[in-house]
Amino acid sequence: MLSGPARRPDRRILGAVWTPLVALVIALAVLLGLWAAWRTVRDRPVILRQLIFGGVIEGLLVVQAVVAGATAATGGGPQDTLTFWGYVLTSLLILPIAAAWAFAERSRWSSVVLLVAALTVAFLQLRLVQVWGAA
Amino acid sequence: MTAPGDVVAGRDGPTSTSTGPGRVLVAVYGVLALAATARSAVQVLRDLDEAPLAYLLSGLAAGVYVVATVALARGSGVWRRVAWVTVTIEGVGVLVVGALSVARPELFPEATVWSGFGAGYGYVPLVLPFLGLLWLRRTGRAGHR
Repeated sequence: MLSGPARRPDRRILGAVWTPLVALVIALAVLLGLWAAWRTVRDRPVILRQLIFGGVIEGLLVVQAVVAGATAATGGGPQDTLTFWGYVLTSLLILPIAAAWAFAERSRWSSVVLLVAALTVAFLQLRLVQVWGAA
Repeated sequence: MTAPGDVVAGRDGPTSTSTGPGRVLVAVYGVLALAATARSAVQVLRDLDEAPLAYLLSGLAAGVYVVATVALARGSGVWRRVAWVTVTIEGVGVLVVGALSVARPELFPEATVWSGFGAGYGYVPLVLPFLGLLWLRRTGRAGHR
């Protein structure tokens, strides 16, 4: 059942979008995490600008899901599709739920919640890469 | 910083478990619940016959995490009791299954959330129940029992 690293052309084309997208999401999620950590240290709650920033990341995650869907549709997706889509779905859920949960609390702890969420998103990206690469 | 309508530590009853540091606790529980649910859904849906014990246990653990998350988020009345029970189950579960997975690995050919004391999840499943119990004790102390 083991197929070597696939060299399908469609995968290469979409892979050209996929890898920078993953890198961008990780970078932005880490930035959001640092921002939240900074506000935690300064004893400040989550602010609207952070939610907008999170919204940008969420938008990229949606794009990512579409790209992944297109890749899968052309037969170039990961072998373990169920796990892969589990991660895609989970990463789409994290930020909206965490943002709502964090924003309802007007203390520094809301910043910690956002920090946890941002790191989770970054971590899920790494898992996505692993699952994709394990094809 | 407190705004009007904030729940402030009350003198006349247990404090809600979902404010202040509790908000972070619920968030981490939520992430774990989501992770465990997604993973066990994949396992149970696709590979149940490969390792029924491990995968059903995964499903059970995931369910307990979901209930614990909701209970801690509600944080008062009967939910506080539900939180006590579910968080305790997790603590016992991670210790028992963790020990078993080390002593009798053949019982768990595939990883569950509790295998190796939650090593696959950065030991968060090991630490979280104890933080949860501490938090429940601390917020419950503030008033009537």
